[in-house]
Amino acid sequence: MQGADRTTADRRTVLKLSGVAGAASLTGIAGCLDDGAVDDADELVITQGEFIENPDPNDHITGPYFNVLDPVYEPLFDVTPEFEFQPRVVDDWEDMGDGTAELTIRDDVVFHNGDDLTAEDVAYTFNRMIDPELGVESDQAAGLGAIDGAEALDETTVSLEHNVAPSLAEYEYANYGRAVNQEWIEGQDQPIAGSDADAFNGTGPFEVVEYEPDVQLVLEPFDDYWGEVPDFDRVTFNADGESSGRANALQAGESDIVDNVIPEDVSTVDEADGVEIRNETSLRNVFLVMKSGVEPFDSQEFRQAMNYAVDNEGIIDSVLGGFADPMTQPIPEGVFGFNPDLDPYSQDIERAEELVEESGYAGAEITLHAPEGRYLNDADVAQTAADHIDQLENVDCDIDIVPFPDISDANSAGYDDENMPFFLIGWGVITGDSDYGLAPFFTEEAALETLRNEDISEAILESQEVEDEDEREQLLQDINEELREEAPWVFLHSQDSVYGVRDDLEWEPRTDESIYLWDIN
Amino acid sequence: MSFGKFLLKRSLQGLVVIWGVVTVLFGLRAITPGDPVNLIVDPAVDQATRDRIREELGLDQPIYVQYVDYLQDLLVGDLGYSYQSSRPVTTMVLERVPATLELAVAATVIALVIAIPLGVISGTRRNEPADYGATSFSLVGISTPNFWLGIMLILLLAVQIDIFPTGRRPVAFHDALWTFLTTFYVGDLLTWLHHIILPAVTLGTYFTALITRLTRSGMLDEYGKPYVTATEAKGIPGVLIRYKHVLRNTMIPIITVLGLQFGTLLGGAVVTETVFSWPGLGLRLIDGINNLDWPLIQGIIIFIGISYVVINIAVDAIYAKLNPRVIDE
Repeated sequence: MQGADRTTADRRTVLKLSGVAGAASLTGIAGCLDDGAVDDADELVITQGEFIENPDPNDHITGPYFNVLDPVYEPLFDVTPEFEFQPRVVDDWEDMGDGTAELTIRDDVVFHNGDDLTAEDVAYTFNRMIDPELGVESDQAAGLGAIDGAEALDETTVSLEHNVAPSLAEYEYANYGRAVNQEWIEGQDQPIAGSDADAFNGTGPFEVVEYEPDVQLVLEPFDDYWGEVPDFDRVTFNADGESSGRANALQAGESDIVDNVIPEDVSTVDEADGVEIRNETSLRNVFLVMKSGVEPFDSQEFRQAMNYAVDNEGIIDSVLGGFADPMTQPIPEGVFGFNPDLDPYSQDIERAEELVEESGYAGAEITLHAPEGRYLNDADVAQTAADHIDQLENVDCDIDIVPFPDISDANSAGYDDENMPFFLIGWGVITGDSDYGLAPFFTEEAALETLRNEDISEAILESQEVEDEDEREQLLQDINEELREEAPWVFLHSQDSVYGVRDDLEWEPRTDESIYLWDIN
Repeated sequence: MSFGKFLLKRSLQGLVVIWGVVTVLFGLRAITPGDPVNLIVDPAVDQATRDRIREELGLDQPIYVQYVDYLQDLLVGDLGYSYQSSRPVTTMVLERVPATLELAVAATVIALVIAIPLGVISGTRRNEPADYGATSFSLVGISTPNFWLGIMLILLLAVQIDIFPTGRRPVAFHDALWTFLTTFYVGDLLTWLHHIILPAVTLGTYFTALITRLTRSGMLDEYGKPYVTATEAKGIPGVLIRYKHVLRNTMIPIITVLGLQFGTLLGGAVVTETVFSWPGLGLRLIDGINNLDWPLIQGIIIFIGISYVVINIAVDAIYAKLNPRVIDE
């Protein structure tokens, strides 16, 4: 009977064995299954905090949006990190000197649906971005303010009509063009808002094979691409709004590049095996607007005093982990018209107090409004700046954290709007030309006017017409110098773009925050 | 009152609740600062364009006109268009329902599979080590915030030990099941399982602890009732008494809580979905909030509200069938 006892399992034993087997199976499944890790050298996974809002390449304007769409809807021009324009789909271009520029496009470019790219398509693309009647209320229209319209002259030549100097027009049309297929587009919803791979039809080196809105876009090489396809068999863009989630995905090997690593996660990523932090100063400035039509900010001395009160370097070191550069003028370094001879304001409390006395606003009580979560550690930056100003014996400064839409409303409420005259905001000079950072803020009646100064306004408008590039650059540098003295803002910093990257990946971040697949090895 | 009238009454109450949700949401939208036009176009666009957009969206109309228009659209299932993506909100809501349902069902299954045996053991072995273990587990489970638990599970099991993914949903359950049924390929189902385990455990932990405690206290209550003594006196084996009589009676309140909690899981998956990048309604709601995309926010909350009301009515109906006295109460 003992032998029988050894070979006959009772119910309790069976349950125990089942439990052990179940646990072993689960562990086995966990060990053997695809855990999302990138194990194919020819597969690239990029995880971004922001994703495409919709699949329409002519609708939105943010960097992450272009990063995802550019492999599919390639840019018409190659833009170098130094903002030099190189041929791509547009093979040649020339300003005709009569308010028009002619673009010559390649004759071997094919859309993913098999249609040939024509000059009609390119002309339609520009018109679609600037004319809401064609179905899209494009954010890109604001960056194409100098372009009045486009028409095809023949199969490969497009004529663009513009109202500014040739070099400024070039900055605009060379930055925004992503050609669409007119016939195909006209059969879609406006803007394109599909939710599968059929919602894309570009001329880029990759075509879309899977698309889940707000989640993922998967690309594979386009066989009929006119040029050299980047060396990846499959590229995936993932969305993950949580910085820690992106950092975890990188450390777990599920992603090769992640963007917007916040200072709190930097050391974790940097200390992990096989990955590293790479960063580059971006074109996004963060500053404190002081509306010049409202007391006490109508005094230049008072505005300068605010700049002398804030320890900008200290904020960059302590609040931003060193991932920023101090602003010296309204325009970040690397942008056409940046004045390299200017220094940032340095904290000088005594000088600040003297200037406040000179302004006649000693004893002023001001409130700094700031958003939270919009820019890198924005609320902490604002709190520290407000504390610095409050250190002045003759100024009291409070802080009020408000929803970003309040800030956005204040930003477009005019230079003399008293509701919120002092606030923190950011601005990216994404065209690479000073005009995009100056005209909206410093020309009279502009959408975001914060300073009313007739001379500066006229100088900016004049700069738009100057045809000689060197002369125009000098004029813009002079304007930037004058604006530093006018101090319409408390100049804070140009924010860094901080990425987590697999350490064997050859890729360097760019100032314009673009991630081009053709730059990655 | 008949069952039909009871159901009708509950449904009318549900409609009032839904109307309340819609109205409160609309009111919140109206008083929330921020010009929606700033969310739709680049801030640098001119005033004429802004005015045109405002007119197109009906934002230039008095607030009561906007409210009536919204209610009319809602009655035909039109939740409007997202400010960010220009996509129909109804589509954006419905396409995310399967992922949230998968997560809620998986969390419920995990909860039931663990909690009921644990509760039974705890209830039948009162003041023994097994009971202490179960009550300690349930106390920890109820006290642990699920965002923290999720992050810890990711750091430990996905980043350090690397046996689970950090999140995401590479395949939908219905697609994986269809693949299996048509080709007998089980890989997609296993991949789905592999990806859902951590989020489901995270979401289900509180629920598990709750059901464990309910089962335990229910068992203890039932064991104190005279019918148990009578059945024991008849000589019926303890196992039969435990499962056929005591557990069965304990299950009635558990089923009620199950229904109510399932509704909570649908709405409460927001944190878990965010931590694990699980593309359900919760993650989309967070996207909507971050972008102040009010049509999307309203659409998702209204959908969750309707789901909650429907589940509650269904639970009431089942309960009324099981225990008709509640109809008159």
